[in-house]
Amino acid sequence: MADYQLIIIGAGLSGLAAGIRAARFGLKVLIVEQHWQPGGLNSFYFRQGHLLETGLHAMTNYAPPEEKRAPLNRLFRQLRLSRRSFRTHEQICSEIVFPDRTLRFSNDPDLLTEDISREFPGAADGFRRLLDMVRDYDPFAPAPWRSARRFLDGVLPDGRLADMLLLPLMVYGNSEEEDMDLGQFVIMFRALFLEGLFRPAETIKEFLDMLVDHYTAFGGEIRFRAGVKRILRRGDRVDGVVLHNGERITAGSVLSTAGIPATADLADWDIDRSAYRGKMSFMETIYLLPLRRGASIRNDRTIIFFNHGEHFAYRCPGEALETSWGVICFPGNFKGLPGTDPFQVRVTNAANYEVWKAAAPGEYEMMKERWRERSADQVGKIIGNFRQDVVYVDSFTPMTIERFTAKAGGAVYGSPVKLKDGRTHCANLFIAGTDQGYLGIVGAMLSGVTIINRHLLRQE
Amino acid sequence: MTRNEIKNVILEIIEDIDEEADFDSLEADKPLRDQLDLDSMDFLDIVMELRKRYKLQIPEEEYPELSTLNSCVNYLEPKLKDF
Repeated sequence: MADYQLIIIGAGLSGLAAGIRAARFGLKVLIVEQHWQPGGLNSFYFRQGHLLETGLHAMTNYAPPEEKRAPLNRLFRQLRLSRRSFRTHEQICSEIVFPDRTLRFSNDPDLLTEDISREFPGAADGFRRLLDMVRDYDPFAPAPWRSARRFLDGVLPDGRLADMLLLPLMVYGNSEEEDMDLGQFVIMFRALFLEGLFRPAETIKEFLDMLVDHYTAFGGEIRFRAGVKRILRRGDRVDGVVLHNGERITAGSVLSTAGIPATADLADWDIDRSAYRGKMSFMETIYLLPLRRGASIRNDRTIIFFNHGEHFAYRCPGEALETSWGVICFPGNFKGLPGTDPFQVRVTNAANYEVWKAAAPGEYEMMKERWRERSADQVGKIIGNFRQDVVYVDSFTPMTIERFTAKAGGAVYGSPVKLKDGRTHCANLFIAGTDQGYLGIVGAMLSGVTIINRHLLRQE
Repeated sequence: MTRNEIKNVILEIIEDIDEEADFDSLEADKPLRDQLDLDSMDFLDIVMELRKRYKLQIPEEEYPELSTLNSCVNYLEPKLKDF
C-alpha cells in the first residue's frame, strides 16, 4: 500500500488547485513544495515592512458571480470556494501605448472598440469580425498549431493594430517567440479584453493562505522545504518520489507542476529538452514612491503596455534586457482600493536568461542596477521621470524565476510546446500548470483542476 | 430512500456545488444543465458527490441518465433503495 494516492510536486497555484480538487473527493494527497511558502511565481516577500507581491500584476478573466460559465466562477465551483465571499476590485483603465497611437481598454469591451475606431478608422469592420471569431472559436478543441499573426493579417488591414493587440496578450502569457497559437490567442483575448483585469481585495498572501487552509480542511497534507530529488520510476509506472533529504514517499500517482524539462530530469524522461524549454523570460522591478509624488507622474492607469519601436517583436533580447517595450503596472490603481503610502510601480521587461546566468556573482547586482537604469529611462518617457523619488527598489531576474518556479531557463510561461492532456511517458505521472497550456492565475488553477478531473477522479 | 428523498439529495448536492443555483422555476423533466447553466465539470461533481456519499460507481456511459431531475430519480431509485 502506497503512502499516498497522489503526490503533487509544487504548491503553486496549479498544484494547490489540483490538491483541493483531489482532497475534496477523499483522495489521500500530499503536496511537496521546495520552498518554505506556497505560490511559486505568484508569491510574496517582506522588505522594510512592506509586503511585496511577486508575479501578480492583476488577475485576468474577471466575471461577476452570476456569470456561471465564466472561467473564474467555474473555477470557484470546482474548488468549492464561495465566489460571493471573494472580494475583488476591477481595473480602472489600462492602455496600450505605441508611437503616435494609444488604445485604452477596461472591463467594458466597448472602450477598446471605440478607441480602435478612433485610432484605426479603416479597421472597424475587421475588428468586428475578429470579435465574432473570438467569441465563436473553441480554443479547447484539439487542433494543430495555427498562426495568430497570419490570422490577424487576414482580418485587420493595419499591421500596427495587430501589434498593439498582441503586446498585452503575448506579454501576459505567450511562451513562443514572434507568434502565438490561434487557440492561445483566443484564450488570452477573452481573458484580457472581453473579461478583463481585477485583483483580490487582499494580497496574494491571504489568497494563498485561504487556498492552503481550504486544502488542509479537506484532509490534504502539505510539506514545505521538501524539494524532490527524483521521481521513482519503474518501467512505465512511477512509484513516488525521493526528497532531497533522502526520504522516500510512495504514491499511486504523481502530478508534477515543475514544467516539462524539470519533470523530465526528475523522472528520467527521454525527450528533447530543448524543444520544451521556453525562451521568454522577464526582469521585473518594483519601485516604491511616496504618495505625495504620485501627482508628478502619470499614474491614472492600472496597467500600461508600451512599445517605443515602429514594430513590436516579441522575442528574447540579444542583450540582458529589452527596454524598448514592456509593462508598467500600478498595483494600487484598482477601483475602490484605498491608496497606500508609499505606492508601487512595477515594470516588466523581457530578459535573456543566458546573459543573466553567465554573470559572475559580483557582476550580477551591478548588472541589475545598470539595466534597471536603462529600463527606467524608457519608462520615464511614458509616465515622467520618477527616479529621484524612489524610496525602495528591487528587481528579480530570470535567475530568480528559475529558482522559485523550477521552470527551466526562467521561462515564466513555460514550454512553447504544450502537453494539453497532461500525459507523460508514464501512465501514472501527469503534468499540470503552464506547460499544460492554461495561463494566468485562473488558467493555472483550472489546469490543476482539469488534470485531476480527467486522470484521477474518472479513472477510479 | 423514497423518490422525494432522492430528489432532495440531488438538489442539495447542486446547491452545494453552486451557490448561485435557483430552483424556483426548475422543471423536473427538462435538462438540469440548461436550466441551471451548469457545465460538464459541474456534472462530474454530482457524480463524484454521489460516489463519496453512497459509494455509488456511475460509469461514464451512464452519465446521460442524470440529465433531468426526473431521470436522476428514476436512475438512482433502485441504487439507493437500501439507504
